[in-house]
Amino acid sequence: MDQFVVSLLNGCIYGLLLFMVSAGLTLIFGMMGVLNFAHASFYMLGAYFAFTLQPYTGFMGALLLAPVLVGVLGVVVERFFLRRVHQHGHAHELLLTFGLSFIIGELVKLFYGNYPVEYRVPASLDFAAFRIGELNYPFYRMLMGGVAIAMFVMIFLLLTRTRVGIVVRSAIYRPRMAEALGHNVPLVFMGVFGAGAALAGLAGAVAGAFYTTNPNMALELGVMVFVVVVVGGLGSLEGAMLSSLLIGLVTSFAVGIDRSLVDLLALVGLGGWAQGVGGLFTLKLSSLAATLPFALMLLVLLLRPSGLMGDKT
Amino acid sequence: MTRGLGGAAARGIALPGLVAALAGLALLLALPVLLSASLLNAAIQMLIAALFACAFNLLCGQGGMLSFGHSAYFGVGVFATVHAMNALAGQGLLPTPLLPVVGALAGMVFGAIAGWFATQRTGTYFAMITLALAELVHALAPHIKGVFGGESGVSAMRMPAWGFSFGEGRHLYYMTLFWVLLALLLLYGYTRTPLGRLTLGLRENSHRLRFLGYNTHLLAVLVFTVSSMFSGLAGGLQAVNNELGNYVVFDANLSSSVVLNSYIGGVNMFLGPALGAALMTFFGLAVSDLTRSWLLYQGILFVVVMLFMPTGLAGLAQTWALARRRCGAQRLLPLVGAWLVALALLSLGTVFAIELLQQLFSTDYRAGVQAGAPWPAVRQFGRSWAPGAVTTWLVPLVLLATGTPLARWAGQRWAAALDADQGQDAPR
Repeated sequence: MDQFVVSLLNGCIYGLLLFMVSAGLTLIFGMMGVLNFAHASFYMLGAYFAFTLQPYTGFMGALLLAPVLVGVLGVVVERFFLRRVHQHGHAHELLLTFGLSFIIGELVKLFYGNYPVEYRVPASLDFAAFRIGELNYPFYRMLMGGVAIAMFVMIFLLLTRTRVGIVVRSAIYRPRMAEALGHNVPLVFMGVFGAGAALAGLAGAVAGAFYTTNPNMALELGVMVFVVVVVGGLGSLEGAMLSSLLIGLVTSFAVGIDRSLVDLLALVGLGGWAQGVGGLFTLKLSSLAATLPFALMLLVLLLRPSGLMGDKT
Repeated sequence: MTRGLGGAAARGIALPGLVAALAGLALLLALPVLLSASLLNAAIQMLIAALFACAFNLLCGQGGMLSFGHSAYFGVGVFATVHAMNALAGQGLLPTPLLPVVGALAGMVFGAIAGWFATQRTGTYFAMITLALAELVHALAPHIKGVFGGESGVSAMRMPAWGFSFGEGRHLYYMTLFWVLLALLLLYGYTRTPLGRLTLGLRENSHRLRFLGYNTHLLAVLVFTVSSMFSGLAGGLQAVNNELGNYVVFDANLSSSVVLNSYIGGVNMFLGPALGAALMTFFGLAVSDLTRSWLLYQGILFVVVMLFMPTGLAGLAQTWALARRRCGAQRLLPLVGAWLVALALLSLGTVFAIELLQQLFSTDYRAGVQAGAPWPAVRQFGRSWAPGAVTTWLVPLVLLATGTPLARWAGQRWAAALDADQGQDAPR
């Protein structure tokens, strides 16, 4: 039971983290039609910037400054790279961001080396928040979840309750009309791109300290975020939220289940046969945890190709 | 998108093209005599990379479906071939020269299944799904030791066949060359079949194809299957050459490098991706001893190509031919010269800066730095540079600062020359 609660909490918090990154991706896609391949690279840069700033500004200062830097970088990418190739179409923009993500990954390897860096949760934040049965639950995990929820509430309020939010939503919905009404749509695009990058940077700065900070983190998370948006339906914030949580929970619970297909087949008396076949059948579900989101994605594609909340095909 | 491919197909192959193709073929056939063993090995890898890029381009350039996970089909080809080599107690399922067929078949079957899923969606979704499928295989492979051999991989032995030992590079080279040329011919022939024309239609306007009564999903699956079949063939060739299959082949690196190489070469021309892949593979092997940042250069080159010449290297020739017809070579040659100088300055500056940074941030160098003392000098381009000296940093800065305006000037003059020409044409 304790294990169950811990898995539930871990899954929710991982899901919230996924949401922090996929929210920006989905917003940018909904607005500009660009799938930003470099989005997960911004997440990685957030972690590395925070790691670099930490000795000078302290942990909290790094958490605040790193997203700002990443946001500025996002603005630069939009203004000087994406806008240049806009005329060549979306595929070209996708490829450009792909190339940028490649360069960012290689630059990180050049400056920090191709191994994890010592980016840790500071001792002042490294304590147990509460106990579940025998297990101490780290406070930092709760902090990550809290940051993600605060972020979701802020985006939501910003988009639905403010004047800026109205302009942004109209620019997503009818960019030409918004432009004709005198709003500076390219500036809005740039702002949203920068804000999305900053959000990813914040997620990276927060999560990098808890998980490992290495040059592969962009790809690992990036693929997961893509799965999230395919499952949730691209362009839908609610869908992104739902599928982030779903995938977070699925991975977190799978890690705890030490069973394989053999055990399942044993229920119908085929255990011996499956054991003999080996291969996929004898693999423990816990070791397959990383592949389950992909399986979920294939299932969604099979049953509901537009994603859980998506309506565009 | 240009329609260079379609135009060439409609006009038939021109005589100069035929001569060039024959000369290229003769050169390829003569290579084992001209090259040393290690270079011949590089040539084999270039051929395989070229075939893989062409197979990828069938899907991406012609079908308009951007796949970010093509290493999966290559890798399936590798492992199927390695297992075929080990079949029948090491005797091999087929004689050695025919083994790559197994890779092609495996790639085809796997591609048909994966393609059925991936082509459920188009455009951006398609790209993400292919990436996720490749990652699925990549995450699964290390766990299935029986098939993928875990960390050490699966090794195999080439058996002599048909009077050839396949122990020396020459035999392998000719076998690879035969398969690659055959595959390229088949792929070229494919573009001229009705299915090949429909593939272009899929890229240009799939809605319209559907209105015309074609089953676009089935069509996309077919294109995907053909593409992964040839990717599997490339994988099979690599397996026969390396006598090894390791799950590292499913890594995202291979998928991304085929995307980068194809676009650097130019996806609008049939042989563009092959050119790009062969060139980049060659440079990758040539500079692997000199620098550790090759992938970074590859990425930068890709972004530069994407930003400034979207048609790729193969498109440069077209651009030049078009501009020469309009303005004449005399007016353009100085601009090309200036552009080349600017290019040299910019690349020198970039390389200098990256190599310097790479050395300064390497672990070896970091270990040698003592607190308080000035940082030790690094050796580069045949002399030593002190990291604290202004001159060291001035070199790349000056190179970049002179190269950028020069390149911009040449570009502006080029555009102006073309515009002026158009102005003269207009009154007619």
